[in-house]
Amino acid sequence: MINIENITKTFGKKQNAFTALKDISLDIEGGQTVSITGKSGSGKSTLMHVMSGLDHVSTGSIVIDGKNLSTMTRRQADSFRANEMSFIFQAFFVEANQTCLDNVMLPLEIAKVTAAKRVKMAKDALAAVDMSDKENVKARNLSGGQKQRLAIARAIVNKPSLIFADEPTGNLDTATGDLVTNLLFDLNKKLGATLIIVTHDEDLAKLCRQKIVLKDGELVSSKVSK
Amino acid sequence: MRTLDLIKRAGKSLRSAKLRTILTALAISVGGFTLTLTLGAGNGVRDYTTDLVQNNFDPAELFVGRDAELTNNGAPSDSPQEYDESISSFQSVGGDSSFQFKQVSRADITELEARDDVEQVRENYVITIQYITKNGAKKYTGSVAAYNPAQKPEVKSGSIPENGDIQAGTVLLPDTYLELLGFDNSEQALGESIDIVVSKAFNLSSLANLAQGQDLSALDVSQFNLDDLGPEEKTYTYTIGGVTTKPATSLNFGVTPVVISSTDAEKMYEFTAEGTESFDEFLFVSVRVKDGENKEVRDQVKASLEEDGYTVQTAEDIQQTITQFVNVLQLLVGALGFITLIASVFGIVNTMYISVLERTREIGLMKALGMSRKNISALFIFEATWIGFIGGVLGIIFGLIVGLLLNPFITTSLDLGPGNSLIIFNPLQLFILLSSLMLIGALAGFFPALKAANLDPVEALRTE
Repeated sequence: MINIENITKTFGKKQNAFTALKDISLDIEGGQTVSITGKSGSGKSTLMHVMSGLDHVSTGSIVIDGKNLSTMTRRQADSFRANEMSFIFQAFFVEANQTCLDNVMLPLEIAKVTAAKRVKMAKDALAAVDMSDKENVKARNLSGGQKQRLAIARAIVNKPSLIFADEPTGNLDTATGDLVTNLLFDLNKKLGATLIIVTHDEDLAKLCRQKIVLKDGELVSSKVSK
Repeated sequence: MRTLDLIKRAGKSLRSAKLRTILTALAISVGGFTLTLTLGAGNGVRDYTTDLVQNNFDPAELFVGRDAELTNNGAPSDSPQEYDESISSFQSVGGDSSFQFKQVSRADITELEARDDVEQVRENYVITIQYITKNGAKKYTGSVAAYNPAQKPEVKSGSIPENGDIQAGTVLLPDTYLELLGFDNSEQALGESIDIVVSKAFNLSSLANLAQGQDLSALDVSQFNLDDLGPEEKTYTYTIGGVTTKPATSLNFGVTPVVISSTDAEKMYEFTAEGTESFDEFLFVSVRVKDGENKEVRDQVKASLEEDGYTVQTAEDIQQTITQFVNVLQLLVGALGFITLIASVFGIVNTMYISVLERTREIGLMKALGMSRKNISALFIFEATWIGFIGGVLGIIFGLIVGLLLNPFITTSLDLGPGNSLIIFNPLQLFILLSSLMLIGALAGFFPALKAANLDPVEALRTE
């Protein structure tokens, strides 16, 4: 469960100050699929950054499963992210010169999971995205769709309660994008993790149960479909 | 992140930029190479010096002189000294400079011999001979030296006593004379006799005979045949008691001298030097201390002699002087190696800064996944440490190979003798060197690592 109360985020100071998020309050149920949409500059990515603790809010509070992100120290926020969150980016951000297995094991290493467990968990995650045959293939030799599936495997490997996906299909053709979308929603059902997707893609947003729409940093709507 | 995982991941990151890593490591390997060889050469020279001292000097002996400037580690004073009859002048070859040294006199030797803590005083005779021959055959140049038990010659035939002097009337003949004097082998020479011919520079007794009691100041020398005045020659015949070969650790750099007993050396010295200004005066005498094998006793006697106005050096002092010279030389070469290392540090800093810039998004991702600033910083420091390690290993391996290849060549060209090496590697030193290079690498990685740790994750993820 995520409770967001009256958050604002201002960049810069005095005359140069720019408010990217203006007094936003909303709740997200655990295990939900959520879309955050809006035009460029509407504050979608900023909302994702403050919700994940990568950035701090200027005012207000974000409470995730009873833990107030706004009052956490940097170290506490790092540890919280390492254990509870994961990310999927439009540009994949996979380590091109490392094998798929090494890429998937990165979050486990950060979370200090033992070496023996790591390999099993990483193999399971690769199997979940149907990439078991690519374990020892270097990421640079993968196609765009495979890279995003690898990024998804990396995102689910530590069994997070919250997955942030920033334009996950933005760099993919329609067919591959659809495959990745189906995979994301299947995994959401299987794992029960909250999936928050930041996207311009209306079709992708429609698939989510909760739809958050932002405009110029303000919350336009936050609807939960039945 | 666990430290071991950080180290492994740092290694993997470097492997993904192999060429850049190797090139940067090669820069540090140059310093490692220079320092490896410098350390090896320092060890070798020090060991060789120890061998030289152990094989040429009796540890219980002190070298006692009268002039402080002889042990002053430098050139003698260029100021004139107040006249003293014990001071002798020495002219350099070419005669363009002269040195005055106060000498040890016969009275000094008597005083030294009378001391309770002194076992024996040995004069260091300087004897000039005319030639060496056998039964009037060909004549050969050479030199003679009194037997010194501390200088252990390698015996090819015959025998030498463990302690004390060799038998009077016998010689130890260097094997270089064997063929020249007509011997087929060393065994054949044993028991045979050789002649050593010496001369007096000025024949005083001939002059006295010619003068026949006249007042020398009124003597008209034109009435004499000047050839009669000398030089007076004398032939000493000795039996060959042993044939020796020059040991690798010998300090005789010219023709190896024929060794005679101290008694014979004294007689020969008296004949050749009597009547000259420097007769019975010595730059140094060797004083054997009672129980002098004990360093404490030796040092006490040394201090006591110094209080009495003597200049004293022990074998250790001589070794220390040589070692000091080696150390200074090693420091100079080591400094060059260190300068190379400093230059290579900038190479590592540059490589690591480029790496941080290239991997900004990766750093952003790691931060997003919860990697702490401390771990990000450690990751880059470990990468730099890996570069130091690879450079160090390469430098040390190159150094070992070059050292091992050079050793036989140096041993032969410097005539060090079999078993002696001028470059000796010490595993502990090499381990410390490798650790130091890794530490230098880690320090070089510090600022780039700090930059990586301080990157804003949001900005880093947005980097194109």
